[in-house]
Amino acid sequence: MKSSAILLALALAVHAQQVKLNFDRLEGKASDMVDLSLNSSTLQFAARFLDSKDPDEAQVKKLIAGIEGIYVKSFEFKSEGVWTQADLDTVRNQLKGPEWMRMIRFKSAEDGENAEVFVRNEGQKITGITIISAAPKQLTVVHIAGAVDMDSLARLSGHFGLPKLELTPPPKPKKD
Amino acid sequence: MDWLEQELKQALRREDPSPGFEARVAAAVGRPASPRVAVMPRWLPAAAAIAIIAVSGGAAYRHHQGVVAKEQLMLAMRITAGSLNHIQSHVKESR
Repeated sequence: MKSSAILLALALAVHAQQVKLNFDRLEGKASDMVDLSLNSSTLQFAARFLDSKDPDEAQVKKLIAGIEGIYVKSFEFKSEGVWTQADLDTVRNQLKGPEWMRMIRFKSAEDGENAEVFVRNEGQKITGITIISAAPKQLTVVHIAGAVDMDSLARLSGHFGLPKLELTPPPKPKKD
Repeated sequence: MDWLEQELKQALRREDPSPGFEARVAAAVGRPASPRVAVMPRWLPAAAAIAIIAVSGGAAYRHHQGVVAKEQLMLAMRITAGSLNHIQSHVKESR
């Protein structure tokens, strides 16, 4: 009985997280690391301490209303070539289901940066977003599980001292 | 001597106690005191103080946890916003 309850809780937690960010290999090699796992109850608890009068915090409060979890792994390395494509593939391979769609991808040969944004759709709703951002000495993966309001997410760029940008998918190539 | 003086002398005259009076007084003095109604246990103030400290300490710890959770959330959002901003600026440049 107890073990089945634990299994159920584990299954629910896995469902909420959707994507596992497992970068154990890189943790010991990073000069700086941020590892954040905020599940639904932590988000709700944190939301009680957000100040609605602060524009940044008010925007965050609005965004996390339907979110089940936010998971962040960010690494900085002293040298290049620590992370490999195989590390990114551990995340990408989890985003191959029919519900996942890659919304944005860019790769810069000039500075070696590349980034991808994956979106999880269920019906008409966006129920998850995963961001992979990599540079030669840096790797950041963010996974947001739950109902993500893209407008609120886009408006984040006008906060935290960041310039305001519009989050719109790139135009589809025209078929001749 | 008028009638009033006579009456007072009669009322206040010295009179010996009844037999057994001394024994009755001694017995009454030796009798245990009747139980007090509401006696506060000595440990009660200490327990109340501990309870107050525990409750206020718990509330302070809970508040601290909330502040930490909020800071983690804001950091997560800052990283997310920074990543999206970075991607968007690259995408805009490439258009």
